[in-house]
This record gives sequence, structure tokens and C-alpha cells, in this order.
Amino acid sequence: MIVRLIVRRLIFLVFVLFGLSLITFGLSHVVPGDPARLMAGPRASKTAVAKIREKYGLDDPLPQQYANYIAGLTRGDLGTSFTTRRPVSEDLKRYLPATLELGLVAFVLSSVIGVPLGVISSVRRDKLPDHIARFVSISGLALPVFWLAIMAQFVFFGKLGWLPDGARLPIGTDPPPQVTGLYTIDSLIAGDWGLFRLSVLHLLMPSVVLAYGSLAVVTRMVRGGMLEVLNQDYIRTARAKGISARSVILGHALKNALLPTVTSLGLEIGLLLSGAFLVEIVFSWPGIGRYAVDAIQRLDYNATMATTLVIALIFVLMNLFVDILYLFLDPRISYS
Amino acid sequence: MSMETTASADPSGGVALAPSPSIVKPVTLEGASAPSGQHQLRRNLKRFLIGNKLNLAGLIIVVVFLILAIFGQALSPYDPYAQDITGSKLLPPSLAHPLGTDELGRDLLSRVMTGSRISLQVAAVVLTFAVAFGTLVGSVAGYFGGIVDELLMRFTDMFLAFPALILAIAIAASLGRELYWTMVALATVFWPWYARLVRGQILSIRERDFVTAAESVGLSGPRLLMRHILPNAASVVIIQITLDIGYAILATSSLSFIGLGAQPPSPEWGTMMSTARNYFREAWWYTTFPGLALTLTVFAFNVLGDGLQDALDPRSGRR
Repeated sequence: MIVRLIVRRLIFLVFVLFGLSLITFGLSHVVPGDPARLMAGPRASKTAVAKIREKYGLDDPLPQQYANYIAGLTRGDLGTSFTTRRPVSEDLKRYLPATLELGLVAFVLSSVIGVPLGVISSVRRDKLPDHIARFVSISGLALPVFWLAIMAQFVFFGKLGWLPDGARLPIGTDPPPQVTGLYTIDSLIAGDWGLFRLSVLHLLMPSVVLAYGSLAVVTRMVRGGMLEVLNQDYIRTARAKGISARSVILGHALKNALLPTVTSLGLEIGLLLSGAFLVEIVFSWPGIGRYAVDAIQRLDYNATMATTLVIALIFVLMNLFVDILYLFLDPRISYS
Repeated sequence: MSMETTASADPSGGVALAPSPSIVKPVTLEGASAPSGQHQLRRNLKRFLIGNKLNLAGLIIVVVFLILAIFGQALSPYDPYAQDITGSKLLPPSLAHPLGTDELGRDLLSRVMTGSRISLQVAAVVLTFAVAFGTLVGSVAGYFGGIVDELLMRFTDMFLAFPALILAIAIAASLGRELYWTMVALATVFWPWYARLVRGQILSIRERDFVTAAESVGLSGPRLLMRHILPNAASVVIIQITLDIGYAILATSSLSFIGLGAQPPSPEWGTMMSTARNYFREAWWYTTFPGLALTLTVFAFNVLGDGLQDALDPRSGRR
């Protein structure tokens, strides 16, 4: 049954990606703007512009260009970026790990803080911890992540000088030899503690800022789930049997309360991905979000389309993973 | 014994299965349940406003925001576009300029006040189109069912298979850097949620007795849908709109911040912060106040939407 679910979802995924490529391709090619001219620079001669246009097939009719693009995609060829002049797939390999590192740390932070906060808030309902948790969960969804980023920069870099204002490492510092592309892990593998410390320092502010939004979602879901579960009969039975409060809450209640939280993982991933776009810009974090925004602003079709497709792919796959996870966690659910 | 427990756990336990009271005056045939529904509504509204300080705060902020959006330009102490590069560049907050001035000597208070109008306009336009289109797709899918439903909902799912803000960025980037293209992009992102919501509502309302009654007296088609089914879906849609106003405003500012929405010299909050970022070390007030206005507005609409949901939809029973 799980196999059937996966097959169905993968077929849907192909349709989604096809539709998306069509939308982004169609839209990005009707824009009034000439990428060839942009690439050649303002003082380029007409022939130079024409040469570039020919080189990248910009003169072909649109359906032809699209067919070429799709044919390339099936070979894993995402085209060449007009701005960096490297294959887009190479660019993605370079920038994706930075976003991954940022997103992973933010995800871990929001779970490690959010789950206990939600639990405490539900157990000490309407007391101080609950007020704090509810403040976090309401403000987290209302705070513009880019504003929070600038304010954090202002306080911790501008005023206090505790943390660097952005980037993954100080200018002029060589990154660790690439194994995973995550600087914290790579520097540990290389055994370079100084570099590890530096990369953690640089990671701290962007990841905490990014985590705040999903922290709100996690806290809210856990609190809601716990409140629902805590009122149920089997919890009262467990209490009546004389099981310690700690064991009832952590052993009996939390397990079931976490189930609905798993479904919100999809929402969380979406928040983290779109938040990364804005956070990366403010902190000059060389990730895929900043790359995409640069590409968008320079009419770099290939890079724009590739990044949107890759992000869609990540998002859809993660959601599929969440659905399967849910299937394992809750045997009552069946997707038919 | 277990019955008692469930009833006491849910404040609206007894009426949990009754139809949700509609904000729109009941035009349906379910006369019997209407009075208790209205009573419930009034009680809930009272609890919503007086019993909960947070809801009240949300409502007050929303009202202030609406007043500013409508009369902001007339009330603002200075012309939001008037520059004064010689005398008042980047002045800190003072009596003359309560929120300080920007790099061109424009008064920030006036600009923040005027900015609220842009935010409200965008949210209104975006949600009008999103709700209209989403309701159309959702009611056609829900009413006709079958292959129509399947096709329309798969089409809708395609839009939902993507993080909303990134889809909006991709569309806005392709269309162009004008505020109205941003609105188109955002409407594209918001409508699928309404399609799903309305479809779900219609499926459940169709099964109710009063619809069967209406059908038995010969009503069908668009008239049944428009007069009897859709009005009963209204309260759920209104709650969703309230929640989405905040998100639409936030998304607009986010897009403007990366250069895809309103362009300078527009006093849109995100656009202002995008410029202000370059001055954050010497002029803290420049990013602080537009951001604070944005946060408060989104916060207020969220709180209000949440509160409305609790008050108007007894089945949600979240507390």
C-alpha cells in the first residue's frame, strides 16, 4: 500500500514539475527585457549581442526553446547561467549546501525549543510559561523575517559586536575541504576547531532568525495536540493508576500529541524554504535563495527556472516523506 | 461517565453537531435551529470581545489601521514625498518628527501612515480576486463532483505543491516589477486555498437536511447553490479572509523588500525597509518603525482571525 502511495505521488510530482516548468518558462520568456543585452553589457555592439543570442539559442521560437530545455533537463543539464557563466547545476551544487546547513540548523533549533515549550505551555496552562509560549506562537507568524533579521543584525553586530553581520566565514578565510558542503561538519572532519568556531558564530544569527517562524508553528501544534490529549480518558486512567505525572506527560500524552505535529512539518518546510530567501539576502548568506533573487533581478532565465524547480522538488519530496512517516507513526491512517 | 468528560472538555459540547451559525442572516429552511444558533452567536461574540483582552487589542489595532489607511494621507503631519535634503536628513525621532526622518529628509511618521493605505489596497485587491476565483472553482467542483471535481482539484493541488511565497516570487519576477503584477502573483497564490475551503464546505452542506428539503421542493442548480448553500459557507470564508489579510500584507512587503513589489519612492513598508537596510547602523529608527507597523498589523489580523474562528465556528473548539 505504501508502494502504491509513493508511486501515485511520484506520478503527481512529474505533473507538478512539468506544469511548473511550463509556467516559469512561459512567464519568464514573455518579460519585456533582453537577457542577451543585459549579459553583453550596456556598451556592447549589436553584433556582440546577436552573437550571445545565437550562442544561447535565444533566437529560436519559444516551443523550440522549451523543448530544448526539457531535453536538457532529462539529461540533468539545467543550462548555463547568464550571469555566472557556469552550468546552473554547478552553481546549485555550490550554493545548495549553504541553504541546507542554514535550514537544518533552524529546523533542529525550532524542534528542540518548540516541543518542550509546547509541552510546558499545555501543562501549565494559563500560567506564565503558557503566556510566553502563546506570545512566541502568535508573534512568530506575524514577524516579518527580514525585519527580525535586520533588527538582530543591528543589535548583535551593530551595537554589541558579539556576532558577525553575515556570510558563512570572514572574508579571506578559506572554507574547509568540501565533504558535505556544510562548513560546521566539514571543519570538524578536518579537525579544525578554529574554523568550526567561526562557522558556528556565523551560522548563529541567521539560523536563530530563520527558526523563529517555524518555532511558532511547532509550539502551537504541540500545545494544541497536548491540550486535546490531556483531556482524554486514557490519560486519566494512567493518572489513576498512580503513574508519575512526568511519565504520563512524556510517555503517554506527548507521543500522541506529536502526531498532528508531524503533519505540520510540510508547512514548516515551506516556511523555512521561503524564509531562507529573505534571511539569506539580509545576511549575505551565499545560498540558493540569494542566488535565485540575484538571478531574478538579472533576468537569468536558466538560473531562475532551475532554482524554482529544485525548490519545488525539495518541497514535494519532503512532503511525500512526511506523509510516509505519518503512515508509519499512525497505523489508523490509510491513504486510499 | 465518559460522555460527561467529553462534554466538559469542549465548551460548546452540546451544540458541537449543530450547524455552524452563519453570519449572513439565515435564508435557509432550517428554521428550527436558527434561534439557538443566533443566541449562541451573540454569546460567543460577547465572549470574543469582552472575555479576551488579546482579541480586543487586535480589534483596536485593526480599526486604527483601517482609519490610517483611509484618512492617513489627510492626517499625516507632512507630505510623505516631500524631500528636505539640506536640513533634515536621517534625523532621530523628535517632537517635530516623532518617528524621525529618512535619507532624503522625508518624515517617517507620514510615510508609515501613508504606507498603510498601500497595504490595505493590495490585500483588498488580492483577496477579492482570490476569493472570487477560488469560490467559483471550489463551488463548481463541489457541486458537480465526479470528473469535474477531480480535474479542478488536481489543477488546484498543483498550485499548492509549492511554497506560497516562492511561487509568488517566481511569478512576480516573471511578470515585472510593478505593484499590480505583485497583486496578480499573490492572487495566484491565494486562490487555491479558497477553492479547497469552499469545496469542502459545499460537500458537507449538501448533506444537510435543509438542502434535501430545498431539493425536494424542486430547487436545484445555481439557485440552490447561490441562495442556500454558499451563504452557509460564508462564515468559514470570512474567518479565512481575516487571517489572510495579515498574510497578504506580509507577503506584499516581503516581495517589495526584495525589489519585486512597490518601488521607491513609494512609502510601502517593505520598500522602505529595503532602503533603510543600508542605513541600519546610523539610523535605527528608519527600519524599526515601518517594521513595527507591519508586525503590529499582521499580528492584529491574525489575532482577530483566530478569535473569530473560536467565536463563530463552535466546531473548531480549540480551547
